[in-house]
Amino acid sequence: MSVSRSESLRAVLVRTGIQDSTAAIELVAEIEKLSEGAIESAAIAESLVGVADPDLALQQLVRILEAANGQHKNRLVGSLSADTITLGRLLQILGLSLGLGEFLIRHPECDSILDTEALAAPPVEIRERIMQSVGADPLSALPIASGNSDAVLNALRVAYRRELLAIASRDLSGGFAMEVIAGWLSDLADAVLQAGLAVARSGVTDPTCPLAIIAMGKTGGRELNYVSDVDVIFVTDATESLEIATALARGVIHACGAVTAEGAIWEVDTALRPEGKQGALVRTVESHAGYYERWASTWEFQALLKARFVAGDPLVGEEYMMRIQPFVWAAADRKDFVPDVQAMRRRVEDNVDSTLAARELKLGPGGLRDIEFSVQLLQLVHGRSDVLLRSSNTIDALRALATWGYVGRDEAMKLENSYRFLRTLEHHLQLRQLRRTHTLPEDPHELTTLARSIGIRSDPMETLLKQWKDHAREVRRIHEKLFYRPLLNAVAGLDATDARLTTTAARDRLRALGFTDSEGALRHIESLSSGVSRRAIIQRTLLPVMLSWFAEAPYPDTGLLAFRQVSDQVGASHWYLRLLRDESLAAERLAHILASSRYLTDLIRRAPESIAMLAHDEDLQPVDLSVEIRSIAQRHEEPDKAVNALRAMRRRELFRIGSAAALGLASIEQIGMALTHLTDAVLEGALNAVTPTEPIVRISIIAMGRYGGCELGFGSDADVMFIYEPLAGADTAEAGKQAFKIVNDMRALLSAPADEPALEIDADLRPEGKQGPLVRSLESTTAYYAKWSSPWEAQALLRARHAAGDSQLGAAFTTMINPLRYPEGGLDPKSLIEMRRLKARMEAERLPRGADPTRHTKLGRGGLSDVEWVAQLLQLQFGHGQPSLQTTATIAALRAEEALGLIDPEDTEILVKAWTLASEIRNSIMLVKSSMSDLLPADYTELSAVTYLMGYRSDKAGVLEEDYLRATRRARKVMERIFYGNE
Amino acid sequence: MDRQAEFVLRTVEERDIRFIRLWFTDVLGALKSVAIAPAELEGAFSEGIGFDGSAIEGFARVYESDMLAKPDASTFSILPWREEGPGVARMFCDIQMPDGSPSFADPRHVLKRALTKAADMGFTFYTHPEVEFYLFKGEPEPGQEPVPVDRYGYFDNAPNGVAHDFRRQAITMLEAMGISVEFSHHEGGPGQQEIDLRYADALSTADNLMTFRLAIKEVALDQGIFASFMPKPFMQFPGSGMHTHLSLFEGDTNAFYEPGAQHQLSKIARAFLAGLLVHAPEITAVTNQWVNSYKRIAGGAEAPAWVCWGRHNRSALLRVPMYKPGKANSARIEYRAMDSAANPYLAFAVLLAAGLKGIEEGYELPPEAEDDVWALTPGERNALGMKPLPESLNQAIMAMENSELVAEALGEHVFEFFLRNKRAEWEEYRQQVTQWELNRYLPSL
Repeated sequence: MSVSRSESLRAVLVRTGIQDSTAAIELVAEIEKLSEGAIESAAIAESLVGVADPDLALQQLVRILEAANGQHKNRLVGSLSADTITLGRLLQILGLSLGLGEFLIRHPECDSILDTEALAAPPVEIRERIMQSVGADPLSALPIASGNSDAVLNALRVAYRRELLAIASRDLSGGFAMEVIAGWLSDLADAVLQAGLAVARSGVTDPTCPLAIIAMGKTGGRELNYVSDVDVIFVTDATESLEIATALARGVIHACGAVTAEGAIWEVDTALRPEGKQGALVRTVESHAGYYERWASTWEFQALLKARFVAGDPLVGEEYMMRIQPFVWAAADRKDFVPDVQAMRRRVEDNVDSTLAARELKLGPGGLRDIEFSVQLLQLVHGRSDVLLRSSNTIDALRALATWGYVGRDEAMKLENSYRFLRTLEHHLQLRQLRRTHTLPEDPHELTTLARSIGIRSDPMETLLKQWKDHAREVRRIHEKLFYRPLLNAVAGLDATDARLTTTAARDRLRALGFTDSEGALRHIESLSSGVSRRAIIQRTLLPVMLSWFAEAPYPDTGLLAFRQVSDQVGASHWYLRLLRDESLAAERLAHILASSRYLTDLIRRAPESIAMLAHDEDLQPVDLSVEIRSIAQRHEEPDKAVNALRAMRRRELFRIGSAAALGLASIEQIGMALTHLTDAVLEGALNAVTPTEPIVRISIIAMGRYGGCELGFGSDADVMFIYEPLAGADTAEAGKQAFKIVNDMRALLSAPADEPALEIDADLRPEGKQGPLVRSLESTTAYYAKWSSPWEAQALLRARHAAGDSQLGAAFTTMINPLRYPEGGLDPKSLIEMRRLKARMEAERLPRGADPTRHTKLGRGGLSDVEWVAQLLQLQFGHGQPSLQTTATIAALRAEEALGLIDPEDTEILVKAWTLASEIRNSIMLVKSSMSDLLPADYTELSAVTYLMGYRSDKAGVLEEDYLRATRRARKVMERIFYGNE
Repeated sequence: MDRQAEFVLRTVEERDIRFIRLWFTDVLGALKSVAIAPAELEGAFSEGIGFDGSAIEGFARVYESDMLAKPDASTFSILPWREEGPGVARMFCDIQMPDGSPSFADPRHVLKRALTKAADMGFTFYTHPEVEFYLFKGEPEPGQEPVPVDRYGYFDNAPNGVAHDFRRQAITMLEAMGISVEFSHHEGGPGQQEIDLRYADALSTADNLMTFRLAIKEVALDQGIFASFMPKPFMQFPGSGMHTHLSLFEGDTNAFYEPGAQHQLSKIARAFLAGLLVHAPEITAVTNQWVNSYKRIAGGAEAPAWVCWGRHNRSALLRVPMYKPGKANSARIEYRAMDSAANPYLAFAVLLAAGLKGIEEGYELPPEAEDDVWALTPGERNALGMKPLPESLNQAIMAMENSELVAEALGEHVFEFFLRNKRAEWEEYRQQVTQWELNRYLPSL
């Protein structure tokens, strides 16, 4: 912009972005006055071009001129009026940084550092000036400061901020790249640490005591930002030196971090040392090495990637670096490397406060931490065999990874741009208040200033937010880009110019990511992605991210294999490709299921089209099946076809409910309810299908056991009883025969071998058990219970519920049994004793031989049966006349008993927790193995998979086991108290 | 392979080691060992050595699949008692699951977990045990009264005595294995010895104790005598306890020490002490795990049968040793119930858990017991609010069964196994007809 004479000052100012032009004109006049006319208004207006917040710049300049006096003021005015370059530099800083503005108001003389030609070039002699500020000789091998008084510390602080000012000025002039600025900031930190050590030396008895300061984190990587803690580790040579070395270290921490009249420089953070904050502040090289040999965990090796000797005794520093480096590069060989790294990622993500995550530059999804973490991980995996990757600087490392073919060049470049963008934003954000922050402000004015500071002129706020989101989105896909895409190129060899991993490197990487059969995995990847078909092209886009999802699940290898099989089966079909291409949610869920659940994978193999459900949460909700069942009945005349159609419907619904369970979209009660409704519907449909058009009986199917309680799991049989009644006028014997035939046909068709999974019906809970007739008339049943009923049968009837068939008959049955199951006056003492004995005997006899009672989820200590018997005992005792207790469901009964004061709330929670956990484990076992087992898995991999499906974020299967053992131990105690009456 | 492992491989080569024993400990505290040849070492470091967990007490039925013993290279040491012939070395192992995660059944892991919890609160846990044991002439024969090697007593200097030679050789051997001995002397009973280990972090101390027990037995064998850590081999002589000094450090400073506080005991120390007092009965089954352990506690004199603390009181369960000026870092608490036959990993874990609980919950420390507890009448003890420690293994089991603290500290698996095993031991003992009963009842009834 040029300023023409014809324009008014106001117009010129407004065009620079001034908000309050009236105030600005006054401020300009004030500046002219304070400089006695030396600084002209036109020059000021011209220099305001490109300033982030011009209003602020003017206000701060006035305050500086007011604060300056005498000789300083003359020099200041002289330099600012001599040329507009110096004035422009100053205004640029004052228009962004309140922190540096405040500093200049206190120390107007410090602007002299801006008054030099040298600002166009990189800074020199930072170290010399910083050392001299504390009176230390920069050329000495053992610089010692003139003292450690507050005056010395103040001088160090002023010298530090003066250098910061010069770096910020170079930064805002736009001539230097972000990484160059970050490098200078690190140089400055190095110099301050050296000066801090010189100060510390002046305060100890033996200043020659060898102490080396190793920078870690951003300082170590020469990529520091404006305001940050400086991470260091202190090292000395021998145990004898420890005492003085520790005093020196404390001196350094004080020299840098103490708050004096001039504030603090930054905190020296020593938390990365061995044993963290509990560890000794200073250790010998030997002790460090000993620690890393024995104790250190994976993240500590990752941290060591950044280690760099910066100050103090060079011999000790070199020795330390030499001893430590081998540990870093051997870290990927550690057995727990893969799970550790995954756990670290999750911890980082979990730790971000969700209200801030949306504005976090560093820790949020797609933030700086993601980039740094991924680059470091790749360095650890491949740096072991390739020394060219061993850089402590993020950008250098990323470039090396791209140069040597470990990641794609385009992708690396995009990522580098995003990194640079995010870091620049962070830098300017920190300059504003000189405060340590990584959170974007919400205030529109602040955002606008920030946007203008990085050169966005039009619609600054909106543009900034949009650019930021674009970059964050890029970064979020980093795993796919950096880790998995090059794997495809290793086998597909599509683009010779791009990343080409060797097969060995590809296998290393697959193993590090958790694939055990890395050969097989490479073969599947090759098969899926080779060729020029539309399918192969889509797979090439999708596969990298699918691989990353498989790697997070318990069976990555199985998942990849199943994915290949499904893709071979339906891979070319239009809907499948579209689903995978458009619905990344469906693809992610598919990956999750294939790599964890054999039960669901089997269902998918039978009918791959079910996958379509995964795209939408609504499709995973239970559906009303009545219309479909009616239409099945209409379509199929023959019973076997109708029942087969019902079984196909059931298979589809099992996948729906199973997926909801595996994806954590349904609670255990919802799953039980959904499976129960499904079974009710299938039985209803099958009963209709096999019933002759003009029947002479009515039939009611009574659900019993867990089915009666609406608590079915994926591995449960349906426990039922069949009741019939001859229609009026029908021959009783004939009616009985017909009822038997109907029921028998229905069972046979539902369990006959076929493609669709069978529905097993278990009628063993009927009167007289297996010896009794399969179907009984209501009359005969009534007579039986009147004569024979034992407490055990009354207890079983607590769960009886009409499930399908003639509902009037069902109602008549339940009315008939109510006095049995909710006896007036509760249980008599004899029945109570009998019930307790029965339970005690079952505990001893029903457990399979050799089964560990603590791990048996059904009959074991504190398992399902223990909890259910408590609920049922109280129902038998107090159910009469208490509608709330007259439920077939365990949890509902327990809650009702709690509400009536029969169990105290604490005990109820313990029982509900054990029951819920056991039920969830049982469902997960079925989903993982596709075959039922009552025992908590003894196979460790299986147990891990069950743990994963239950949504434990931790990959340690032992945690689930401990939780289960604890919950059931407590439940057993409650049970013994309430059920057995033990105190 | 890390440097430590390389060091081990090199040493094995240079010193002509033909066998390396991999050591670990079962839930009851018995040392288990599997020997491997040098050629298998590298594999052992990278993948561990597989073994069938079901054969080991307390490891059974955790998992069907094999477990792995993964040697901890930093514990490598050459066994000094095989002087002639090719050398033998040992390392302690961590027990791992097939995927490399630690086994919940491994006592070493139980202690590590407890130490991690302490570390999360900012503490490192140090222990310093005083181990007592008896030396006998020859191997024990069933039905024979054991014969001690001498008739000397407390602090007696027995010139040319067997015990004297024994202690000298034992200490030389322990020092050769890097285990520092602080103090050793003849104890109160005939043939009874005490050797105190220097204080160290609890994990090293527990490892050292496992080594110590074996080394003592080996030296005794070498000298044609027999050593036993049985808690109470003689009715008329004192039992073999393992008084253990406990302290917490925050970084380099002793967290138990506070200048100017009463007895220089910091708030942390007082709460830790209170935690041990509150939870003493429920942890006793772990610190005193055998039927015989309770015979020692019943024996009077220095055996602590009541839950109380004191400073000069040698009959109290917990003693706070007098503060020595200038020794801020040696502030500590002495727990006197534990015996030499405890599983040190589990015992340290429950002691730590009880103390930390006191800190977490801010327990108040009851007043100090100033009298000889044994001399008080039951009424007096009742008035002073002193509860007894469990009087038998059975009582100890019952106290432990209801303890969430112990379940938490040991982990559900070890907790369950331990109780099951101890109940079985008690059941078996209950059926015994003893010599005492025969002597007393047979003639008169």
